Amino acid sequence: MAYKRPRATSPSTAQKRSRGAEGGAQNVKWGTPLPVDEDNDDGSFVPVWKQTVTDDKGRRRLHGAFTGGFSAGYFNTVGSKEGWTPKTFVSSRSNRIKDPAKTATQRPEDFMDNEDLAEAAESRQLETAQSFAAVGSNGKTERDDLFGLMLTDEDTMAVKLLQKMGWRRGQGIGPKIRRQAHLEEGLGIVDSKETSSSEHSFAPKDTRIVSFIHEDKPSRKGVGYQSGAQALPKPGEDDTEDTAPLALPFLDRSHKPQALKKPAQKKTGFGVGILNDNGSDDEDPYEIGPKISFNKVIGEKKTKKGSKFAKPNTADRVVFIKKGSSKPTAITRISHDGRPPLRRFVLASTTSTLPSRERFPPPSIPPGWTSLKSSAANLQGRQFQSVADAAKSSTLDAKARASLLGEAALPGKSIFDYMSKESRDRIAAFTGKQNLPPARGEVFPSNNQGSTAAQQKSLWSFVPNLDKDVAAAALAKGATGWMPYGEDPKKRERYVGFLELRAGTKTNLPERAPDETVSDWAKELEEFAHAAQVFKPVQGLMASRFTSSTSSGQSSGNATGDSLLRTPAAKPEDPAEQAAKLGMYGPMTRSVIPFYPTRLLCKRFNVKAPVDAPADDYGSKTQEAVSKADMDRLVHDALTRGSTLQRPSWMNQQEGAHAETPAPTTETVAAPVDVETNDALTQERPPEDVFRAIFGDDDDD
Amino acid sequence: MSSFPTTPIAKLTGHAGIVHCVSYSAGSQSYILTGSSDRTIRLFNPSKAPVSSTTPAAGLVNKYTAHGYEVLSIAVADANDKFVSVGGDKTVFYWDVQTAQTIKRWTGHAGRINCCAFGGDGDSVVASGSFDGTVKIWDTKSTNYKPIMTLEEAKDSVSDVWVGDGEILSGSVDGRIRSYDFRMGMCNVDVVGYPVTSLSVSKKGTECLVSSLDSTIRLMDRDNGQLLKAYRDDGYVNKELRVKSTLGFNDSVVVSGSDDGMVYAWDLLEGEVLHKFRHSEMKEVKGKKAADGTRNKKDVVGAVAVCKTRKEWASAGGDGNVIVWGMDA
Repeated sequence: MAYKRPRATSPSTAQKRSRGAEGGAQNVKWGTPLPVDEDNDDGSFVPVWKQTVTDDKGRRRLHGAFTGGFSAGYFNTVGSKEGWTPKTFVSSRSNRIKDPAKTATQRPEDFMDNEDLAEAAESRQLETAQSFAAVGSNGKTERDDLFGLMLTDEDTMAVKLLQKMGWRRGQGIGPKIRRQAHLEEGLGIVDSKETSSSEHSFAPKDTRIVSFIHEDKPSRKGVGYQSGAQALPKPGEDDTEDTAPLALPFLDRSHKPQALKKPAQKKTGFGVGILNDNGSDDEDPYEIGPKISFNKVIGEKKTKKGSKFAKPNTADRVVFIKKGSSKPTAITRISHDGRPPLRRFVLASTTSTLPSRERFPPPSIPPGWTSLKSSAANLQGRQFQSVADAAKSSTLDAKARASLLGEAALPGKSIFDYMSKESRDRIAAFTGKQNLPPARGEVFPSNNQGSTAAQQKSLWSFVPNLDKDVAAAALAKGATGWMPYGEDPKKRERYVGFLELRAGTKTNLPERAPDETVSDWAKELEEFAHAAQVFKPVQGLMASRFTSSTSSGQSSGNATGDSLLRTPAAKPEDPAEQAAKLGMYGPMTRSVIPFYPTRLLCKRFNVKAPVDAPADDYGSKTQEAVSKADMDRLVHDALTRGSTLQRPSWMNQQEGAHAETPAPTTETVAAPVDVETNDALTQERPPEDVFRAIFGDDDDD
Repeated sequence: MSSFPTTPIAKLTGHAGIVHCVSYSAGSQSYILTGSSDRTIRLFNPSKAPVSSTTPAAGLVNKYTAHGYEVLSIAVADANDKFVSVGGDKTVFYWDVQTAQTIKRWTGHAGRINCCAFGGDGDSVVASGSFDGTVKIWDTKSTNYKPIMTLEEAKDSVSDVWVGDGEILSGSVDGRIRSYDFRMGMCNVDVVGYPVTSLSVSKKGTECLVSSLDSTIRLMDRDNGQLLKAYRDDGYVNKELRVKSTLGFNDSVVVSGSDDGMVYAWDLLEGEVLHKFRHSEMKEVKGKKAADGTRNKKDVVGAVAVCKTRKEWASAGGDGNVIVWGMDA
């Protein structure tokens, strides 16, 4: 759009006058006049042909016819001198452009200038898509409200259900009818007696069902009012046109102007055009006043149906008409289900005057009346009780239930059976319960209370079994460097002791940690047995593939220390290294390992190969699974399994320790278990203040 | 041996990096091969490069460029027509001296190769010791690209290797010297206790000179592994770098470079320091004061080589120069 300052089309009178005065008077000029600015828009008169036209960006352009003049492309339109972007289209036999859609890339926008584009943008409107329908809208309502956004134009659930039951659009509802085919459509009813040759089952005819739904009256007119402009179609007449399959107002969305049928032409108003002239002369076209039709003939009643051009003999004939069939047209009219009305019934002329049923308020219930059949109230009053709640509320204990059931008492004994009376009273005082069982003060059975030898024997029963070879293998695994419980050396010692016991090198009972109960000890032994099974060394060749980690263990001891750094476990010093550090070079630092040069190497060195040199060349040692030397070493290891020379130092130490005290099997005494006294029970109770300070209320006085 | 050559007679320049190895040619030993961290190998004629000469790269005969990494060791064949060089590119380069082209390149090591040596009948094999802890023996006669044998007893990087008649010695950072005897099918492992950086064997072959990272050079008896002599000095520093040591002058003198740019010469039998030289200043240092404080990073003598035929030896330093020391004119 061009924005131009409106200008006067012709010089105003004042300008004219001043111009005229300019010619007459000699004005004195002082200073240098400003250079004439072409674009200076000071409002002074400029003739049209001198006016400059700019576009909305201030560029000096000519413009289209409606915005200031003609302007060719380029500057105001798309960005090339030709007005659009020229494109070449090349298609040859060898290189044919198959897809014309790809090549036809020029759109109308390519030929539109800024103004056109702006107009196109303005003309665009936001609309809902066609498939949208308002909630509860029918065809009559305009889609200009927000409800148009809500519902898509789909079938209602009732229609879907009907379709699932076999109904199709255009059919009527109901059981299928056996009848003959109506070959000619327009005919109303064909006499069934005519031909009975071929009967088929047809769906019932689609008829409009009388709507008993009282819609709100759209107008304030009286009931049954029919204005001339709004001749409601009668149901009987509607049957012929197949517009409304179902009289469901929310479904009826056909946009046919069903209700907006053109009103019948009313002949009101002044003058009648020649088109209105139907050739009748008896109507006075210039008649003014109420259109009251008078019977202008006295006496004989003129039938409505009678045409003016009726034959004179038929018009004069006297016909007796029964009262019941006063309307001859009613016979031919069909009911809404496509059949003639029942005998002696007459189709109503209108259905719109259905009397609205009077609504009565429900009868008021007399006060104080209660129904006998209201069972819901009774159900609500009763409380459901779960089994658990019932069990809670029961006062029976296990013994009482047992006695009720007639069960014999279990042979187990309570702790109170072995308790002295004082202890039991003390417990009763602690807990505040007075219903504790009576203390019997029984003595322990004899199998729990015996000599230490018997105790030992019972302790032996806790020591789990382990295969001798498994234990030996686990020990050998430890000898080659790895063993569980690296973080707890004492536990590891116990583990080694257990393994040695099971391997047969020791006979005394596995030792027990100082503050360890018998059950914990038994548990630990079980754990050891399991560990020995799990950490049984990988046998043979596989074992030679792995080396033990050098940075394991010793973590727990350092974790408690100050330094966060973990120092690796000190590697056992090689004696040769130690000797070298001491400068004792010689036999101490020398070791000899077998070495097998390949034959080719010996040949190259012109040396007679050793007897057992590897057969051939280029077989570097890395390609052998296990060399012969490794094999020998493995055999040697297997024969002297876990020899003391190869054991780690900590194992040797323990070995030494055991050697010092030569296996006094019977002297090892298990920790004494005094069953008579219980420290926890015989301890003096702390004063009451302590309990109060801990558990009492703050504001307790 | 009364006299030790103490006068610099030639200065071989041209390398742009530290000279890692220096080697006399075989036979008359009139040429010097140097390998440097500037990835080149240079062949010098020291007689054409007097100290006074100012022309750049005086005495340079040839340049061998194929390495992609630093050159760490060079070994010259007895026939003087081939040599091998190894370095950071995990490959053994087998060179033809005349054409300056590689005849073979053996790959197979998993790490930097530290050392190489010719051996066998008619220099038919090449041994190379690598950072991957193996010594691989390659066949120069066949076209096989695999090593004849791999010695992987070492637990750490192999720093030096020596090949004799039917035996191979390897020194490793794990502080051990392994002496493989092909005839006996035995390997003697001698523990030195400190990472071994250099290894050389006397003419008789019964002793070996071992440098280790405790600033000590030891002369070991190969028969029983006993220590014959240890060579130390207050100023002698060898704690972190690979510094070559060698026996020279009819096995009468032990010569070694050091970490701080000095060169030491010990009397073999007595174990006394005969001479101390400062490589960068090209002069002998007298007195107790060994190294002055002005030690910089490049001040290192990584390799020394002693000429077998003349009274002459060479030291290669971190400044990229090789000094050839000889007797006074």
